[in-house]
Amino acid sequence: MKRRDLLTGVAAGALALSLGIGGASAQDDEPIRIAALYNLTGGMSSIDAPALAAAELRVKQINEAGGLLGREVELISYDTRTDQGETATAAQEAVSEDVVAGIGYGDTTFVMAAAPTFQENGIPFVTSGATHPMLPTWVGDYMFMTAFGDDDQSYAIADYASEELDLDRVMVWTDESMDFTKALSKFFKERFKENGGEIAEEVSFMMGDTDFSSQISRMESLDPPVEGVFISAIPSEAGLTVRQIREAGIDIPIVSGDGFDTPLVAETPGPELANDVYFSSHTYRGDDRPEVEQFIADYEEEYDRPPENSFTPLGYDAIGLIANAIETAGSADPADIRDALEQTRDYKAVTGPISYTRENMVPPKPISIIEVQGGEFNVLEIWRPEEGLEGELQE
Amino acid sequence: MSAYVLQQLINGLVLGSMYALVAVGFSMIYSIVRLINFAHGDVAMIGAFSTFLVFAAAGLPLWVIVPATLAVGAAVAAIIEFLVFRPQRQAPQVNGFITSLGVSILIQNVGILLLSAQPRSVRLPGLLRTNHDFFGARVTTLDILIVAATLISLLVLTLFVKRTRLGIAMRATSENVSAAQLMGIPVNRVITAAFAVGGALAGLAGLMWGGRYGQIDPLMGFVPGLKAFVAAVIGGVGSLAGAALGGYLLGMAEIMIVGMLPSEYGSYRDAFVFGLLILVLLVMPNGLLGKPAEERA
Repeated sequence: MKRRDLLTGVAAGALALSLGIGGASAQDDEPIRIAALYNLTGGMSSIDAPALAAAELRVKQINEAGGLLGREVELISYDTRTDQGETATAAQEAVSEDVVAGIGYGDTTFVMAAAPTFQENGIPFVTSGATHPMLPTWVGDYMFMTAFGDDDQSYAIADYASEELDLDRVMVWTDESMDFTKALSKFFKERFKENGGEIAEEVSFMMGDTDFSSQISRMESLDPPVEGVFISAIPSEAGLTVRQIREAGIDIPIVSGDGFDTPLVAETPGPELANDVYFSSHTYRGDDRPEVEQFIADYEEEYDRPPENSFTPLGYDAIGLIANAIETAGSADPADIRDALEQTRDYKAVTGPISYTRENMVPPKPISIIEVQGGEFNVLEIWRPEEGLEGELQE
Repeated sequence: MSAYVLQQLINGLVLGSMYALVAVGFSMIYSIVRLINFAHGDVAMIGAFSTFLVFAAAGLPLWVIVPATLAVGAAVAAIIEFLVFRPQRQAPQVNGFITSLGVSILIQNVGILLLSAQPRSVRLPGLLRTNHDFFGARVTTLDILIVAATLISLLVLTLFVKRTRLGIAMRATSENVSAAQLMGIPVNRVITAAFAVGGALAGLAGLMWGGRYGQIDPLMGFVPGLKAFVAAVIGGVGSLAGAALGGYLLGMAEIMIVGMLPSEYGSYRDAFVFGLLILVLLVMPNGLLGKPAEERA
């Protein structure tokens, strides 16, 4: 889509509108529509449903403050039921609904089922929680990420494991059913070996598994024993693995990425077993920046519960990024929004500042290292990526 | 035998026990009404939820929770039979199969609506997590209870089917429904009993599953239900001993594939398991302990 003269755009819009509903005077009356694609049911719901709730909160706040460019914002949400077929269909439906942008998903696999449709139709898609660093490269110039890349979060926890936890020899468990978990393991191994560590053994499992006794026995049988274990899992397996490892009487540190950012990590093992778990995640939990405190207060007031996990503020930030781009561009035209998004610098998101300075378009964001001790989450340190790092990632 | 192999055998035995409990009930219902009941795993889910959200939450001791869960499983299965399957008893076999899929999806979605799809953490009361040393391998008290309770349940079930009047009536009904009815056997009551017994075992399996893994959700019954189906087919659908054997073999195979093969094959576990199923059916079309197929009306 070519950039249009703003006036022509408004005129054309007004014309279309007057033809359509015959009577409305200006485009200003028509809401700005944004599509939100999430898995509200099925295996991904614990990640996706809170993100949509936060996105809805942000839209509500924007409208209460007078909307964008004087127009109301309307969020059109789709439940894609943790099904890639549903996802592709919903994306087709969304682009035909006259939306100016789309947001969605906490997982790469689903973004890849939806975002290419937005790309083809020249509509920007901002994923709230997906973290695969190749996403903008795979999809194209209409693809934007709210979160950091898996390379950064894996490097952060690998550095922490090597330097602070002093681990030299670890085992790696990977959920082989998801792009995200496979990428997380790949980058962790890469960095951990660079740091001089040794990957003693690897095992795999699949999303939906509940019994990890075989993997645990395999870990126990290693000689010499491993000093730690990296578990690349999504929330549904995070608590299960921690509980079963601790119940087996193994007390080595368990390290992971943002898939572990779920209350289940503490609740499923219980306070007496939820110890020595370390994971990297979005800078939000335990952070005292004003944006964070304001968000938590607003969310609790709206929903009577604290934000469920880091994917919640990411949903809020995805809408924030688009709103910011619309205001900067002074236009709600998809191509103008895209151009403004690309120029985003130091946007004060709840999950840390967002700038698209890197060639691979993955925002270099600070990353929290979080520990779980006695069932409590504490932020230990903030890891910072090399600013504007060259995008030399190869799949 | 190294401690490692012993440990993996124990892991397989515990997992297999839970599969066996679900599979036996599944097979029992099939043998009597020729119904492949895909909602059977969801009865285990309901058992798990009532165990933890109702009985354990009320602070009841384990010796009350277990019979209460058995009763819930039995009641739920019997109610499903009465409401859904009884009205279409004369319908072709495929109707029952499709209906059971529908019931399964219905139960899961009602569960999601009422309880949310988020997994929740649960705990059995008591000191069941204590580890014991068993010739160099490790077992928890709960593991021992799971294996023992499964063996006792299977034993009681065998005696029930072989010795009691109701059990004999079940076997008669399973041989031939019309003939049993003509002989004066109250077929409806026998079928209800079969569902109730199968449901009770599924409920117990749900309790064990939740107790061992500590996380339950409304969709948790689907995978064990599917595994029970596979176990029952491996063992020979309709044969109770076969279903139990199939359950143990399946649990053992899943553990050993991850435990013994080089790690890069671990993610093909389900492919291996279903490959095994196909292999068994190619070599022994009636399953390991199944009787030769005889066409029944």
